[in-house]
Amino acid sequence: MNGLVVALALPAVAALLLVVLRDMLTDRLAAWAGVGVSVVVAMLLLVTWVGGDGDGYVAEVDLVWVRSLDLHLHLGMDGISFPLLLMTALVTALVCWALVDDPPRGDNATPGLVGLLMVVLTASIGVFAALDLVLFFVFFELALIPMWFVIARWGDPHDPVGRRTAATRFLLYTVVGSALMLVGFVTVWALAGTVQIPELAALGAQLDGGWALFAACMIALGLAVKTPVWPLHLWLPDAHAKAPTVGSVLLAAVFLKLGTYGLLRVFVAVLPGPARDLAPWLGLLGVVGIVVASLACLRQADLKRLIAYSSVGHMGFVVLGIATLTEIGIAAAVFASVAHGVVTALLFFNAGSLKRRFGTAEISVLGRGMYARMPALAVVLAFASVASLGLPGLAGFWGEMMALRGTYEAAAGADGAGLGEALAAVLLVGALLGVLLTSAYFLRVLRRTLQGVPTPHDADTDLAGSERGIAIVLVVAVLVLGLVPGLVMGVVEPSIPAILGGAR
Amino acid sequence: MTVVDAIDWTSAGVPLLVAVGAIVVLVVDAFWPAGGWRRSGTLAIASLAAAAAWLANGGSSGAIVAGFSWVILLSALAVVLLAQVLEDDAQMPAGESGFLLLSATAGALTLAAADDFVTLVVALELLSLPSIALVAMRRDRAAAVSSAWTFFIASATATAITLMGLSLLYGVTGTLTYEGVLVGLQDDRVPERTTAVVVVLVLVGLVFKVGAVPFHLWIPDAYRGASVPVAAFLSVVSKGGALAALLVVLAYPFLPLQPRWDIFIAVVAALSMTIGNLGALAQRDVVGMLAWSSIAQGGFVLAPLVAVSLGSDDILSAPLRYLAVYAIANLTVFAVAAVGLRTLGGTSYAHYAGVARRQPLFGVALVMGLLALAGFPPAVIGLVAKYVVLQPVMLGGYAWLAVVMAFNVALGLVYYLRLVVVAFAPADRVDEGAVVTGAAVRGGRGTTIAYSVVAIGVVLLLATSVYPTLVFGPLP
Repeated sequence: MNGLVVALALPAVAALLLVVLRDMLTDRLAAWAGVGVSVVVAMLLLVTWVGGDGDGYVAEVDLVWVRSLDLHLHLGMDGISFPLLLMTALVTALVCWALVDDPPRGDNATPGLVGLLMVVLTASIGVFAALDLVLFFVFFELALIPMWFVIARWGDPHDPVGRRTAATRFLLYTVVGSALMLVGFVTVWALAGTVQIPELAALGAQLDGGWALFAACMIALGLAVKTPVWPLHLWLPDAHAKAPTVGSVLLAAVFLKLGTYGLLRVFVAVLPGPARDLAPWLGLLGVVGIVVASLACLRQADLKRLIAYSSVGHMGFVVLGIATLTEIGIAAAVFASVAHGVVTALLFFNAGSLKRRFGTAEISVLGRGMYARMPALAVVLAFASVASLGLPGLAGFWGEMMALRGTYEAAAGADGAGLGEALAAVLLVGALLGVLLTSAYFLRVLRRTLQGVPTPHDADTDLAGSERGIAIVLVVAVLVLGLVPGLVMGVVEPSIPAILGGAR
Repeated sequence: MTVVDAIDWTSAGVPLLVAVGAIVVLVVDAFWPAGGWRRSGTLAIASLAAAAAWLANGGSSGAIVAGFSWVILLSALAVVLLAQVLEDDAQMPAGESGFLLLSATAGALTLAAADDFVTLVVALELLSLPSIALVAMRRDRAAAVSSAWTFFIASATATAITLMGLSLLYGVTGTLTYEGVLVGLQDDRVPERTTAVVVVLVLVGLVFKVGAVPFHLWIPDAYRGASVPVAAFLSVVSKGGALAALLVVLAYPFLPLQPRWDIFIAVVAALSMTIGNLGALAQRDVVGMLAWSSIAQGGFVLAPLVAVSLGSDDILSAPLRYLAVYAIANLTVFAVAAVGLRTLGGTSYAHYAGVARRQPLFGVALVMGLLALAGFPPAVIGLVAKYVVLQPVMLGGYAWLAVVMAFNVALGLVYYLRLVVVAFAPADRVDEGAVVTGAAVRGGRGTTIAYSVVAIGVVLLLATSVYPTLVFGPLP
């Protein structure tokens, strides 16, 4: 039996069982079931990857699905998708773990919520594993409606109208984008006569001309909304801020990666020619995103919104890395995606813990001197923040560093770079400015909340139970990624030629 | 030239069997009126089954026409089953209803199988007049009568315009058979401006029956006035017949004129989906929403016709495939509405608040049916159908139309999802006082039959979502 297929089907079956048997399950049991399924999925993926021969796609399956339309159930993983797959399964496990001690509102609501999370897990695995454009699209869309329910039903308890508006805005932005992406996929089909990603990647630069550029624009638009690329990020701050902790974590750690992964798999690899034409624009928007997001962060009063905006900045680095079309840039994109998943998950879990205690994530309400009031929570928050701002030795550093390095190579006139020398130089300066601003806003938050004279509050309780466990797991992950980046890079590097093959 | 060619009994058999069934239902009911809905339903099903058997044994002129005939026959079957829900509705007499449903079905089948324009117009009327009568039947509601009047006047006007176009066409080509028109229009002496007028005038009647903008205003009115099964009939059988005729006319006699009509079709499709979706956004009633949604869906079905002249079989079958998926999804939701009217007491959204919790089958049916119409997973079949209609549009190079379709997919999701959200409202959010229970009754045998239509629809949607070949395989 193919491990990847089992990993894809298992959460879907679990979701079905959770919903059907919801009256027989307690909140805790349902949450633990979610943890169990996610961990099993992660182990299955790991075992399947290690057991693969490393040549081409691991665990590739290719079955005819709709003969008359030539659609296939075509799945497989390579060095680009595997790190993201593993990260997705682990983050989902942690999210379910968080529900053990913090059940959602409503009478016995956990089975339903975990069921939705399992659908999101299936959808994300499907996107990362799909090698057929239409299948990719099916999974891309599958996660949207469950996510709408997660935000609209279990979001910010103090703002029922706001959370619904945020959920609907999230849905509308992404749906318009993805519908345009479908138009792009159909255009690719009309040009190439196939929707199999490996076949399309092998065609390489043959897809060129006006229609290919049209297809690339449509696909890039859809993925840019999801990633998000400035100025299409407007759905993000509200959705992240109003979502419950589990929703914020999944949105940031997993959902945004569907966009960045798509940019690699179905944009750069499938349409290398037009991707080269669009790369300068993408790079430019990425850097504008970095700068604008960090400026916006300086003015945020709400911790969750601040983390949300910081995501826009981090995704800017990912997009910049992709736009360089250099090997190190692509590697940066994958590494930064994984690192952002882990670091931002930690940040959002932390913000969620605070919001649970204080009923809000307003920085002014949280008070000062948290080091004294809640030492463990404060240390973890400080750790996550410095990881996010890119301190060397932690996860956030390598992605940014390699993206900047790729841009520098482009500025120095590297062969085949997607950015012109002058533009790359300008973007490099812009991105460096962003790095400085990122440090500024995180340090501002740390100074406002962690340091200073303690202002005790009734709600002051330190990390406990699953909160503590989750924090430990993620801190270890951040350290491992930061200290041994080779773990991920060794997996990613062999697969980069498959992405850049046509673009070179 | 003989005015009446030899009748092609092979093709005529299917609608004839249904028409004979219609008369039998009427006569039997006239002499032995005690049988009620059970007997008229049985007779109607028997005649539809006979027609299906004839069709299965090669009773059609081509694969595409056969495909449309299958969709029409099976949808009519579903409507007949659904109509059993009306069993104790004094305003809907069993014999007349069965007769009119079958007559209109015969009209839709003839429309699909027609091979000349005279047959086309006769079929158009055979479809229209019983449909109007069906809408008018709810004599207890003044709205029904006024709806029927609107429907009648609009329909008569559309037919008159088509007839005017046909007289011009006859003047230009000297014949009204499809084959003769195809040959006649290739004559260089035919003035271009005349043919442009001919095309638009002839298409008006068909576009009207499809319910596309700008001939859409009768739809919300007629659906509101009619009983729910009749609205289901209008939205699938009537629309399907007209679409089949439109496809055949454009792909066959009017093929040489493609540069004249492709932009007309593209604009009509774009306007239909946009205006239909905008109209549906404001609806808070299941039937009203489905009425506007059917206008929008009509736009999606029409869109692939812009590439008909490219001639590949895939392009010709795209509208048929979309229609088949639309028929399953739409009939499922209509079945929920028909049963809901009985067991929940109404069709406004308030009646459906939290219904998924109390009746899980309704919940699943609404999720699968509405999301299939929207084109979203888990109703994967709807998404594949959207992919199917986008293909010809891009092959024909209509990028702007494809982009309009993309925006409309997003727009559609808003209102389809709204009803799903209402149905899944959590218990603590459903204000018990606000749940309208109205005249909810425990339905009888007819309700059970209609309920089984919901179940069949759910099974079909689930099965085809997992394996779309189940529906696309048998179709050409």
